[in-house]
Amino acid sequence: MTTTTPPPAVRIEGLRRRYGSGSSGFEAVRGVDLDVTAGTITALLGTNGAGKTSTLEVVEGLAPATEGRVEVLGLDPVADRGAVRRRTAVLLQTSGFSGDLTVRETLAMWNATVTEARTVDEVMDLVGMRDRADVAVRALSGGERRRLDLACTLTTRAEVVLLDEPTTGLDPESRRQVWRVLEDLRADGVTVLLCTHYLEEAEVLADHVAILHEGRLVRVGTVAEITADAPSTIRFRHPEDAGLPDLPVLPGAGVTRHEETVTVLSDDVQRDLGTLLAWADEHALRLHRLEARAASLESVFLDIAADRTDRTTTDQHPTTEETR
Amino acid sequence: MSSPTHRQASVRRVVALARANALLMARNRLTLVYAVVVPLLPLGLLLAQDLSDPAAGAGALITSLVLVLLFPVYYNLLSVVVTRRDELVLKRLRTGETRDVELVVALALPGAVLAVLISLLTAGIGIAFGLPLPVNALLFLVAVVAGIVMIAALALWTAAWTRNAEAAQLTSGPVLFLMILGQTAVAYPDPVREFFTWTPGTAIVSLVRTGWFGLEPVTGDALSQEATLGFASSWAQAGQPLLVLGAWTAVALWLAARSMRWEPRT
Repeated sequence: MTTTTPPPAVRIEGLRRRYGSGSSGFEAVRGVDLDVTAGTITALLGTNGAGKTSTLEVVEGLAPATEGRVEVLGLDPVADRGAVRRRTAVLLQTSGFSGDLTVRETLAMWNATVTEARTVDEVMDLVGMRDRADVAVRALSGGERRRLDLACTLTTRAEVVLLDEPTTGLDPESRRQVWRVLEDLRADGVTVLLCTHYLEEAEVLADHVAILHEGRLVRVGTVAEITADAPSTIRFRHPEDAGLPDLPVLPGAGVTRHEETVTVLSDDVQRDLGTLLAWADEHALRLHRLEARAASLESVFLDIAADRTDRTTTDQHPTTEETR
Repeated sequence: MSSPTHRQASVRRVVALARANALLMARNRLTLVYAVVVPLLPLGLLLAQDLSDPAAGAGALITSLVLVLLFPVYYNLLSVVVTRRDELVLKRLRTGETRDVELVVALALPGAVLAVLISLLTAGIGIAFGLPLPVNALLFLVAVVAGIVMIAALALWTAAWTRNAEAAQLTSGPVLFLMILGQTAVAYPDPVREFFTWTPGTAIVSLVRTGWFGLEPVTGDALSQEATLGFASSWAQAGQPLLVLGAWTAVALWLAARSMRWEPRT
């Protein structure tokens, strides 16, 4: 018996998107190829201006590709717009609502435009807005508007859901509520393509991660696959005036010193940590604030964002907060 | 080709969106005043006229129709499209199943329905107070309906090059001028009036004169204010204004379709 691989829910081939023309033009997407497996959550990561939204807008059928091809459920999102829209749901990065309508009126209007719709009460419950049903949209907070936006998206019982930064502006509790909704969608076989700035969100939710940088796809895979080739980090502090003996030989590792902090990027953290501890014992050194961390999506992402493809300049790792 | 099911879904979407737009119009007091009260003002003028005089009756009815086209339809649609485009409401709506044409129709529908209702109300009250019955009511209806379609399309076209709601005060100038020209056409010398007969405002004026009052349409020749036309002869006389209004409507629709913008310029 032979098994056949199901076709991807979203297929992007050689996608290019250019704004303007001539020397003042700008190519935001520079040849992206990506298959999004049906029934999974794929996170599209990238720094600001990496081309995430520009890519997603083509997938949504809101903008044409300058070059290349996009298929959603085997259909062209522009040429077959009607058929695609009945089976997909979209959340834009930013969008607006008429402030004089209430939450319920807005959702009722949206509901009436959808073929396969969840009820208004159902979507309000999904995003936790039942108690705000009769509040005018203009009186909602930024986070509540985002949840209303998501509620409109969830009104469609879609096969593919395209989300551009769905949890931006949400408090941690609401964010986790959205995560649960997305996990439930995946459990129901829905495909989710998710643009996000939150690396934790991608690590928690995504079956696959695609990292865009300057319009190009630079990493694709599971979180484990993406971080597999990235080095682990061993870091400790040593007072500069205490005099640090020469470090032991750590084959293949990259070592940097920045003021009092010594950072070792290691392919074999167990071996190198053992060597370092033996060396410290030998020299009766105390390694202050010693830590050893496996490679994370964050470290890979930050290296890509900083255009670091080698291991020579990992002096400082800004926190996730600093990158937002 | 669209199936009956698709047509039903399309109608359902348009009705739902139009209902929401009507609700928004009703909740905005200023919009409501401009859309309802201002077009009703010429009723006072109509009732103050000697309605047995066709020229006076025509003048009042035409003023009413022009205001009906300009306020509930043109200015309302221009303002709604520009504001909702800038607030990204239109972009959001386009991510759903609603087709572009449905979205546009739903935006224009509340103003258009209001325009028809106010026109019928004005005509009805006018008749009740002594206005003669129309010679050819169909021509009057054509003037109202084609006028609404044309002015709505011109509103969409104006919106395309209107950067924000404040700018609409300036960008609406050309269309306002085209419409008002028709009303003032009778006051200009013959050769100038000949030129004005090619404007949409004058075409609408001619259709009301001919269709309702049996007056000659506006031409380059000296204007007679005597009602001489019957039902059949009114059709014959209405050829040019019908063609002019049809051509303007077609051009306006083409311009609107070609230039429609759904989100602000970046």
